[in-house]
Amino acid sequence: MDEMQARLIRCFSSVFPHLTAEQIPTASVESVPAWDSLAAVTLVAVLQEEFGLQINLIDLPELVSFAAVRNYVRKHKNAL
Amino acid sequence: MNLIEALEILKQAVPEDEHPLRVFLACGFTPLHLQTFLAAHLRRLLPQELVEVKTGLFGDLAGSIERLQTSECDVLAVVIEWQDLDPRLGIRSLGGWRTTDLPDVVKSTDQAVCRLEQALRRAASSISICVCMPTLPLPPLFTTPTRQAGDYELQLRQLVASFAASISNESSVCVLNSQRLDELSPPHSRFDVQSELMAGFPYKLTHASAVAELLAALIQNPTPKKGLITDLDDTLWSGILGEIGTDGVSWDLDKHTHMHGLYQQFLVSLASTGVLIAVASKNDPALVEKAFERGDMILSKENVYPLEVHWSRKSESTQRILKTWNIGPEAAVFIDDSPMEVAEVKAAFPEMECIVFPNNDYQAIWDLLKRMRDLFGKSIVSTEDSIRLESIRGAGSLREALEVSGDSLDDFLQSADASIRFTFGKQAADSRAFELINKTNQFNLNGKRLSDAAWKTYLNDPAAFLMTASYEDKFGPLGKIEVLLGRIQGKVLRIDSWVMSCRAFSRRIEHQSLKQLFQKFDAEEICFDYQATPRNGPLQEFFAELLGAPPVTDLRFSRTTFSGRSPSLFHRVEEVVNG
Repeated sequence: MDEMQARLIRCFSSVFPHLTAEQIPTASVESVPAWDSLAAVTLVAVLQEEFGLQINLIDLPELVSFAAVRNYVRKHKNAL
Repeated sequence: MNLIEALEILKQAVPEDEHPLRVFLACGFTPLHLQTFLAAHLRRLLPQELVEVKTGLFGDLAGSIERLQTSECDVLAVVIEWQDLDPRLGIRSLGGWRTTDLPDVVKSTDQAVCRLEQALRRAASSISICVCMPTLPLPPLFTTPTRQAGDYELQLRQLVASFAASISNESSVCVLNSQRLDELSPPHSRFDVQSELMAGFPYKLTHASAVAELLAALIQNPTPKKGLITDLDDTLWSGILGEIGTDGVSWDLDKHTHMHGLYQQFLVSLASTGVLIAVASKNDPALVEKAFERGDMILSKENVYPLEVHWSRKSESTQRILKTWNIGPEAAVFIDDSPMEVAEVKAAFPEMECIVFPNNDYQAIWDLLKRMRDLFGKSIVSTEDSIRLESIRGAGSLREALEVSGDSLDDFLQSADASIRFTFGKQAADSRAFELINKTNQFNLNGKRLSDAAWKTYLNDPAAFLMTASYEDKFGPLGKIEVLLGRIQGKVLRIDSWVMSCRAFSRRIEHQSLKQLFQKFDAEEICFDYQATPRNGPLQEFFAELLGAPPVTDLRFSRTTFSGRSPSLFHRVEEVVNG
């Protein structure tokens, strides 16, 4: 597991404490009932803190799964 | 604390508690991360308690407070922002920023403040409230450039300042200190415009954490320290008294030793709030005596008791001082410029806060004064606070007089010219009574503490009564020193709480109190919710002496038993009924 994956799992784990480390990589809005709008905003705040990113809340609709979040963070980290 | 840490803290297992601390967070915006941070900071400060943080309807701050059922929470935390006072003072409303709108903004803010004040005063009669006044910048709606404070802006700030000053007079209300918040969260980096518009949450995460941290500390309300033990040389004054003499030591601007003067001034301030001040110094007693006679000393000898000045170890001095004060090491602070002395005292009293006085470091001394205000600060300074030192001196005199006279206790008490004022009434605002119940250990019926909400609920019971006693004798007044909470059930009194300050021991006040209860309520029997605790030995001894056997749970005795066993009582008794 690369470092970014581990940090992302930590972020997801703090927002969705009931998910196991194994469940997180396949987590999505459809599979996690607790992933509502408040959780989405909290997840964005946690990602900003962890990776030092400025995430525009307009991008929220893109961030619908762990994989999508990973791609988003990777893209924006590289742009820094 | 960052958000991930807060969420991690909240993931940890919580203690089981049938009586959780229930906090209601009222704010006009989406509470989101503020709620998370508040819960996490409270969990960190109160690890042994189960804390619940609930929220009300967003967008209607005053309405949330007005609708609040105070029986459903213990503490109300209120976070006010400008848009709660008039939506035009926020950015989510487009209600108009024309010059002609400004008088109406001020007028409606005035009305909103009045409504909030009424709602808070109503809630304050039953629960504790912590209030945070607006923390975000006002939007640029005024006609003046941002460097200039305009008339309407100043009027708005004045309205809020007056509101804060007014509401803080309520004994149940604490207002968050904006100066402290400024230190933790610089004003220019608080407002998150994007988050406000897209999520309805106006705070940057760092600001949300800072507001929550201070609110949690207000809610926790730690017991202030009671006594301060200070060194003299290079602490209370600059210089070594034994080397440069009484005229050589200094604490003034001319000799660049003014920080010691500030320290003295601070100790006088603490003494005026009832903090006990003692000296532990390795020095020549005669020289110290002379130094305290200097006319320019700011801390006078009257402010200090006792003075332990000799060449013995400071831990021994500290031991004697604590015994004289009759307080535990956890309630005292030791300050000395020598790290070695601090280490020696700390080794003997690990529970004590021991601080090295940062001699010659202006900024560090300034920070120390602020730290001490946090350790000793209290919301209310009571009459008892102002006479505490005198009554401890009086207790010392009483002990000495007893030892010297060789009289029997009866003879001595007869000549003490003592009077007790018993007050009956159910004044929930009696902060001294509430404080005594929650801090007294030795003469304490069962060691049970009461939350503010439990205290008010108890007093609302029609069968409940509250009796307090104030004492005075020829050695001086002790102030309000006893509290008794009970319920009347026909001819039987059930006592649920009974505490008496240790300063009032050996005066038979406890006997007189029971006599008064039997008379006042024409009771035939008194039942006590007695429980032995590791620290209520003096209360156990009282019962054992009175009844001729160690006390047991479900303790009770009749009027006849009490009358037959009570010793002679010599107090003048006055009864006052409040409400």
